[in-house]
Amino acid sequence: MKKIVTLAVLIGLSVYSIAEARIKISGRGAKMNFSSDGIPDMYKPAFDLMLVKCIKCHTMERTVIAVQTGRAPITGQPFNKQAVKAYGIKMLRKPNSDMDKKQIRDIVVLLNYFLDENAK
Amino acid sequence: MIKNIITATPILFSLLFVGIFAFPERVSALPAFTRAHNVECTTCHTIFPELNEYGEAFLKNGYVFFGTDKKKSAEKIKATSSTLVAKPAVAPVADNVVKGAGDADLLNKLKAGTMISADAPETAAVPAQAVDDGRMKSEGLLISGIPEQLPISFTANIHGSYDRNAVNEFDFSTRTLKLNAGGNFKEKVGFFGTYILYTENSAGISNTSQTPTNMTGKDDIVELFIIGRHIFDTPINIKVGRFQPKLGLWKSNNKLSITNSYDTYAYTVGSSYFRIEQPQDAIEANMIFGTRLFFAGGVVNRKEQNTKEWYLHTSVKVGGADYLVNEPEIDLNKEETVFDFLTLTVGGYGYVGTNGDPNTVAGATPRQNDFYRAGVDIDLIYKLYRLKMSGVVGNDDNPDLTYTLPEVKSYVTAIEGQYTIQQNLIAALRFEYQDDGTNIVRRYIPTIAYAPIENLKVVAEYKHESGTSYKSAATTEIDNKIGTLGVTFGF
Repeated sequence: MKKIVTLAVLIGLSVYSIAEARIKISGRGAKMNFSSDGIPDMYKPAFDLMLVKCIKCHTMERTVIAVQTGRAPITGQPFNKQAVKAYGIKMLRKPNSDMDKKQIRDIVVLLNYFLDENAK
Repeated sequence: MIKNIITATPILFSLLFVGIFAFPERVSALPAFTRAHNVECTTCHTIFPELNEYGEAFLKNGYVFFGTDKKKSAEKIKATSSTLVAKPAVAPVADNVVKGAGDADLLNKLKAGTMISADAPETAAVPAQAVDDGRMKSEGLLISGIPEQLPISFTANIHGSYDRNAVNEFDFSTRTLKLNAGGNFKEKVGFFGTYILYTENSAGISNTSQTPTNMTGKDDIVELFIIGRHIFDTPINIKVGRFQPKLGLWKSNNKLSITNSYDTYAYTVGSSYFRIEQPQDAIEANMIFGTRLFFAGGVVNRKEQNTKEWYLHTSVKVGGADYLVNEPEIDLNKEETVFDFLTLTVGGYGYVGTNGDPNTVAGATPRQNDFYRAGVDIDLIYKLYRLKMSGVVGNDDNPDLTYTLPEVKSYVTAIEGQYTIQQNLIAALRFEYQDDGTNIVRRYIPTIAYAPIENLKVVAEYKHESGTSYKSAATTEIDNKIGTLGVTFGF
């Protein structure tokens, strides 16, 4: 009986953790994007900003895949919080990225939130 | 003549732009490094072939993306990045558990890549070389170190020019096709080669429907060398073969212009053929010291000259990503400052050599020219602005090998300002001053480069050259005005 209960609890926990681990996304392929449904209101302005700025040079699919897998899809680099900040600084300095420091900071914080959510 | 310009210029532009935009699919293939590393051209270039700071780092690292010795810098960034998150930092997600919905095939490919390079240092710029489109490299290729992709590509140039001093004012016959190869074997040995398959310009052409017999300027192998990386686990790289000795900050093709090299690198004195950008048969040792200092030094063995030539280079970079491609430490919580966007690179070099008659013939007294060059280059980048400054002084004790021309001192400088209008549209204005002991020449070169596709660029440039030949028997005036419209593409 004890074993059955333990097994049931473990199965229940594993199912629960899988369900919560997913960050919500929408679309497939090049149209893939983070779903705005699950994003807290405090991050919504940064999300809207990201949708405008980041797609100037690459699809949102690239960002979604990076967050989901922990690897930047093109280069294979680890995509963690350290890398997110480095990418942020790189984008800040990139000619014609048209983003100021506050905007970069907001998007870095948002991506860190996505990483946290994906790691749950 | 004015009428010719008015009528021909629109036709020239129309033909080029129709050619570019009507058949864009034909130039969608990508050159060797892009294929090998699966990155965009703009990863390393502003508008190719001009390099950005990441391309410079790739070059200095022997054609290997940086992927080692990164933990320190990663930890440094980690320490400050924690101030940006509300929650405590979680463990990096670079494990083998891939979560979330989405493109299942792509995720599986990435999962495979993650598994292969799971032990790669954090934030290391290591492309997933072991995985290509989800396919594992064969064990044989991995063990032997042979690149899975044949590491070759081609570069083509087609130019049309207008020179009012030429008999044939409009010329469309200039074209070049080059074979390039580059990459690395197991990241231990880098290699690079450039071979001119075909080149042709206006000289010697009487019938443009035929290939001219004298393919002017054809030098076949321009560069061919290998680089032993981190010899005996030291930071020192050893480069052997034919290559441009590391002197100035920029290789000869590292520019926006399609025709005009920086004069400091390209000028010659008298009949001496020495140019700073000239490929030489040489051995070079170079290393990155710390993260922002670069040293290079080498020995050149000139054909039929028993004496060796020597050179040294050093450069330092302040601001911007360092030579190991670590981004600068910028506090995103603070207000913007000028220094967040400022990148300054300063390089200095010296070259000492001898050329002239062969000195390997027993009993003969050769006429020799001992010469030196010493120069300083500065590369300053601030947001959309870039300023390149280059200056060199030289001395040749007998450049014409006649003993009638005394020792010649030369002074050459080039200053180029660039403005990035769009990521694929850059305008530049260059001024050059050349006193080579015979002539004093000033050049004004406005250039505009546009890349509608990353591997194809269109460049319009104009060169106004004026000066005085003050050492000739009768002082003559130099006045050239040449407009060029060219297309360069790689595939």
